[in-house]
Amino acid sequence: MSAALLPAVAAKPSGAAADLLRIVTINEQIKRVVGVSFKINIMALNAIFLAKRAGTAALGFGVLSNELRVFSRDLRNCMEALTGLIHDCVNEVSISLRNGRQDRLLAEVGQAGAAAALLGRVLQQRAAERDGHVRRLAALRRQLKRALDDAFQMVELGGVLAKSAKIEAAYGQSFAPSLAQVSGEFDGIVEEIRGSLEALRRSPFFAAH
Amino acid sequence: MKTTRTLFQDGDHKWLAIVRDPDKPGYLIDTNEYLITHGERGLLLDPGGAEIFPAVFSALSAEFDPSALTGIFASHQDPDICSSLALWLEFNPGMRCYVSWLWASFLPHFGGTGDTFVAIPDEGMEIPVDGLMLQAIPAHYLHASGNFHLYDKLARLLFSGDVGAALLPPGRDGLFVEDFDAHIRHAEAFHKRWMGSNEAKRQWCERVSGMAIDMLCPQHGAIYTGRDVERFINWFAELPVGITGG
Repeated sequence: MSAALLPAVAAKPSGAAADLLRIVTINEQIKRVVGVSFKINIMALNAIFLAKRAGTAALGFGVLSNELRVFSRDLRNCMEALTGLIHDCVNEVSISLRNGRQDRLLAEVGQAGAAAALLGRVLQQRAAERDGHVRRLAALRRQLKRALDDAFQMVELGGVLAKSAKIEAAYGQSFAPSLAQVSGEFDGIVEEIRGSLEALRRSPFFAAH
Repeated sequence: MKTTRTLFQDGDHKWLAIVRDPDKPGYLIDTNEYLITHGERGLLLDPGGAEIFPAVFSALSAEFDPSALTGIFASHQDPDICSSLALWLEFNPGMRCYVSWLWASFLPHFGGTGDTFVAIPDEGMEIPVDGLMLQAIPAHYLHASGNFHLYDKLARLLFSGDVGAALLPPGRDGLFVEDFDAHIRHAEAFHKRWMGSNEAKRQWCERVSGMAIDMLCPQHGAIYTGRDVERFINWFAELPVGITGG
């Protein structure tokens, strides 16, 4: 089907509908980060066992592997908090969408000039409620942005841990190649999370407001 | 905008039909709304879908103060019956909505709170409007499994929801049935398909044939008056229903 024949529903959504799509995108990214942090946890467990086998040659590596495991748990907790905020955002945006439809229908009543005084009071009350929702959504946006910034800081620390593990791997004597491989994988995964979070921080959900 | 037509008036007791919007988009089914006023208060019957709210509200408010509406009667749960509920509640949050107990927890998806809904038991109940007592008449499975009509014994009018409805072709939009035989052709397929139970239909016909009815007012199509009320009940009694493709 050519682009010209595509139905009008393919048109770009705006306002609350666009926000809802952006939130869905953010949520999908968060789910991906949660999945990856689970992977770090398993990898860290394996790394701890490997460090134990390597003995004194990989003491530092073992400590860092433990830290990476703590990091993966903290990251998952952080993502859970973000998911809660996302849920609250979806709730507010859904109310805006519903109210938007009702506002359109009430505006049509206004155009017809029916029950002007009564309608005026209702519209005034709805405007006050709308302002409340706008404020709540703005506050949630800020909270979400802050939580993402915190998560990003945490991932920066995770990156330092992964890079330190790479250095420690070099002292692993006969285990050095295995430890280097594991620490390289850590570094790659943390970089992947970093990239995801960086993309999230640039989401138009934050930029547009 | 829709127009209002007075069906009955005796002092401050009045029935208004809110009908026929020439600007309504063709993809929305046409509906009739009815307003019963008594004293200073009003009850709106099947207020309609959200998309037609502006047309219904504008027409109604030209005749009656919308904030004096004390209740909404919903014959059943369909969106063309009462998806406008949240908008009506904006004008009087204390308004009650009378509906079959079967749908009392479904309709809040359209709006309202736990206090909004009055659940009508299967056997029906009396609904007050400023001292006037109206009767919710059971019409279950015609078509919804929890379904009521509303009878006003003073006015001798029966609001019959989807029973008596006709899907009229363009140009045949008179408010009253004028030629029963010609009209009923537009009601036949609708009743065969929408009405789900021959037993429920038989019970309804028995029930309403014992009532004094001057007008039978459906939610779609034209209103039956005088002898056409009885003709309709007899026609419906004979019609096999619950049939697809008919």
